[in-house]
Amino acid sequence: MPVPEKLLPAQLFNRCDPGSFEFGTTAELDGSTEIAGQKRALEAIRLGMGIRHDGFNLFALGPSGTGKETTVRQFLNAIAPGRARPDDWCYVYNFSKPRNPKALRLPPGQACRLSNDMDHLVETLFSVMPAAFSSEEYQAREKEIGESLLEKQASAIETLETDAREHSISLIRTPGGFAFAPVIEEKVIAPDDYMAMKKEERDKIEKEIDRLRGSLQSIMAQFPKWQRETAERIKELNREVSAFTLKPLMEEIRTRYKDIEEVSRYIDEVEKDMIENFGQFLEKDAPEDGPIMMPPLFSLAGRKRSAVRYRINVMIDNGKLDGSPVILEDKPACMNLVGDIEHAAQMGTLITDFTLIKPGALHRANGGYLILDARRLLLEPFAWEALKKALRTRQIRIESLAQLFSLVSTISLEPEPIPLDVKVILLGERRLYYLLSTYDPDFNELFKVAADFENDMERNPETHLAYAHLVGSIAVRDKLLPFDRGAVARIVEHGSRMAGDATRLSSNLQAVRDLAHEAEYHAAQNGRTQVSAEDVEAMLEAQRYRASRIQERMRDAMMRGMILIDTASEQAGQINGLSVYSLGEESFGSPSRITARVRLGKGEVIDIEREVEMGGPIHSKGVMILSGFLGSRYAADEPLSLSATLVFEQSYGGVEGDSASSAELYALLSAISGIPIRQWLAVTGSVNQHGQVQAIGGVNEKIEGFFDLCKERGLDGRHGVLIPASNIRNLMLRQDIVKAVESGLFSIWPVTNIDEGIELLTGVPAGEADASGAWPAGTVNARVYDRLRKMAEKQKSFDKKPGDETVH
Amino acid sequence: MTSTTKNRVIQSIAVAIDCSPHSKASLEAAAEMAGRLKAELIGIFVEDINLLHMAGLPFAEEVRLYSSTTTKLDAAQLERLLRQQAAQARELLQRAAEARTLQHTFRVLRGMVPEQLMRAAPEADMLVLGRSGRSPSCRKGLGSTARTALSEGKMNVMLMRPGVTAAEGPLLLLCDGSEASKRALVTALEIAGPKSTLHLLVTDPDPEAVERCRQVTEALMSGRDIETEYYHLPFTEGKQLASFIRMIDSGLIVIGEGMNLPAETLRELIDNIDYPVLVVR
Repeated sequence: MPVPEKLLPAQLFNRCDPGSFEFGTTAELDGSTEIAGQKRALEAIRLGMGIRHDGFNLFALGPSGTGKETTVRQFLNAIAPGRARPDDWCYVYNFSKPRNPKALRLPPGQACRLSNDMDHLVETLFSVMPAAFSSEEYQAREKEIGESLLEKQASAIETLETDAREHSISLIRTPGGFAFAPVIEEKVIAPDDYMAMKKEERDKIEKEIDRLRGSLQSIMAQFPKWQRETAERIKELNREVSAFTLKPLMEEIRTRYKDIEEVSRYIDEVEKDMIENFGQFLEKDAPEDGPIMMPPLFSLAGRKRSAVRYRINVMIDNGKLDGSPVILEDKPACMNLVGDIEHAAQMGTLITDFTLIKPGALHRANGGYLILDARRLLLEPFAWEALKKALRTRQIRIESLAQLFSLVSTISLEPEPIPLDVKVILLGERRLYYLLSTYDPDFNELFKVAADFENDMERNPETHLAYAHLVGSIAVRDKLLPFDRGAVARIVEHGSRMAGDATRLSSNLQAVRDLAHEAEYHAAQNGRTQVSAEDVEAMLEAQRYRASRIQERMRDAMMRGMILIDTASEQAGQINGLSVYSLGEESFGSPSRITARVRLGKGEVIDIEREVEMGGPIHSKGVMILSGFLGSRYAADEPLSLSATLVFEQSYGGVEGDSASSAELYALLSAISGIPIRQWLAVTGSVNQHGQVQAIGGVNEKIEGFFDLCKERGLDGRHGVLIPASNIRNLMLRQDIVKAVESGLFSIWPVTNIDEGIELLTGVPAGEADASGAWPAGTVNARVYDRLRKMAEKQKSFDKKPGDETVH
Repeated sequence: MTSTTKNRVIQSIAVAIDCSPHSKASLEAAAEMAGRLKAELIGIFVEDINLLHMAGLPFAEEVRLYSSTTTKLDAAQLERLLRQQAAQARELLQRAAEARTLQHTFRVLRGMVPEQLMRAAPEADMLVLGRSGRSPSCRKGLGSTARTALSEGKMNVMLMRPGVTAAEGPLLLLCDGSEASKRALVTALEIAGPKSTLHLLVTDPDPEAVERCRQVTEALMSGRDIETEYYHLPFTEGKQLASFIRMIDSGLIVIGEGMNLPAETLRELIDNIDYPVLVVR
């Protein structure tokens, strides 16, 4: 088996040539930021925004920082101006059902105009109405109506009085009413004189008085009716006068909005109500119902509360909008989405009216686009349900949460719902999308389009330039120094490192932005006029240094022998594995000692990590694959009679992942064969049951972790790392490693199978089985095979012994 | 009759009180004027003998004003009611007088109302009463008591109606150069305060009449600073006068009885005008 060649320095780092850029510094770029490498997502956005059907809302998913919001906004800002401007909306008083304010739709820009017109109308009425009602003409007519009632009453009584007088009877006013009495010469007959009269005469008088009393009663019974009639006449007069006063003013408004049927209807209702309630315009200052401490909203400079109902609550004014609205709601709380009905405290009670209805983001975005952050939306109580309801029913119904859950019980409103036509764009992580998609049946109905943003993009001259444009636009927007092309190239290289792939670039625009800011800070600190590659390098170095506390403490412990990592001798059953530690945003690699011990047993490989529940399932899977490999390669025909234990020495946290499985296998083979492993090498890579070495993650960090330790102990040319050959394209190593490799002080071998690896690690050929399945003598495989056979025989003899005893 | 007294024409004012809205207006006006002239206020309440007689009749029944139901009336109950009214009247007078620290007396009489009033009033220099009283049909024009006071009374009579005041303000005086109108002018000047405007309406058709009237007035004013305005209106028809007076929109109208104007014209004017009227004798 040939041993693979060491990797060449050029294979360790995919350089970006500053010379490939045509510009000198980013100041020469036009500052545009075309998002590159998100073709798939853009296609989805185009589709989602293009289909004007129900449910074709969009979920933009991808890791944070990939420019979801920027991309969506850029796209929308480009298409929105070409779309139709949506109508204005306002809420007005509902004269027949005050609890249900009416929603009025007006062409863009008209709502504010109507509001001003109505305010002006009311203002005018407060001066015009009193004038009309204090006019001499009105006063005279009102007086005349009143007089006519009195006259009617008086003349009815007068007739009766004349009638009575003809019979020598007088109608007398008593303290409580009227009475009749016989008179002689204007004087009432005294009782004694009366009794002295003849009975017939008395009877005649009494009969006459009875008759008169009856007539008086029937006259007086009519009085209330006459009074009612008079009141009605006065009311009619008032109506006539107020209607006459109102008419020219209303006509003016009506002609202005004659094309909008709903508004015309509303104006008719207003006119009717104003005529009925003309009285409110007559008293200027006294607030109704007497509360002295009116909140400012209701006192309206001394205006009566009742006049508030002629106001227009403009919810949405699209007058100054250019095309469709694009709204980004940063705090998607329920009431910020669907609007709210506020209350005002008045004398200790909470009151509300239609002027306190507040629009939400859905109102503002109606007819356009609403961008929301999915995680924030889901964190807000009831907001997600409210949004779904609005999208499902295609209308915005404002319900106060407090009302819904009976937290307050006070005057409430149920405003008429407003029809909704909006495209909602949710931005969120992939996990959220999949969770919602799995657990919320409404979700797939309402968000039919998913724009999946890539974590990274292909690396080619085009994306290099896109990076340059991005850096340039950041510099312009955030007023940074320009970046020279060397700096841009370095940032591109780091973009590959972030992507963990020499052929790709990270799509994490946020990270690039942060990088640019830091690098610029370095340049500015050094008094430079533009940011150079050295500044970027210094910034990266500084970043590494800031994040390296734990890494250095661990290396320190290794140097002092607290953590046992051997990088000089050769040992059997012991190998340097490589692991990656992830702490928040930062991750670093570090070597770990993996040891294997074998003894006679029943063919199991014991993973100590798993036994103590410190290993994850993937790690356990890797270890179990080892027994599969061992059994099938070396003990196909007889039982695998060993018991092996594998452990990550001095590991006190958990271990997860299968990237150490090849190292474990090497340790195991070394332990079985007794051939020592070179401790100046470290290994990473997973292995399958056929002994093929497979790709792993974090290869750069792992190599750097081992390199740092070796460098500190002194590089002697022997040190190196075995990596899976399939990980070569992931290599974006630090410049100091590349230099060490160039000078032959450090080596990296790409390994495709276990035999290559074990040969590199032991210096002993692995050996290939011949046609009969026998291994060439002296090779690693042969020694493993022999040892296993011996163990099997020993096992067999052990198994026999108890049987023999029984025979004896 | 003390109207010829040189220095003060009015030293006491009588007012008829029966607790009706008209009489309340009269009391207010009388008190107001008495306060200004430092005159004594005499309140007169007449228990109507007609009422008492009626209540004594066996069939007496009252038709209630607001329910049109009937209830039996008896004399004792009526007596009580009248006493109550008298007490109320006294209280009204007291309140009006004490507010202005006026000397006041209150008198309760029994009999026919106009008769009793005519008998009691001559003690005072002026009688103030409502244009109409409590009798049902005399809403228009003058009430029977007012009519009697005008036709039979020998003192100054001021007729009031609710809703207008006799507070210090503009006065309107009818002038025709007669002795009676001069008397009226003297009284008017006495009533007028420094803020009053005196409107003089000259009815004498003679073109020189206004100038004469001015001379007489200025002589009588003897330097007092009262604003005066003169109008010449050579009409003798009551309705025309009334409408002209309405145009001027003055307050109290002062008329001297026995002016050259025909008596019917004056009567018609008094009947039709809505302003309080003072008839000077």
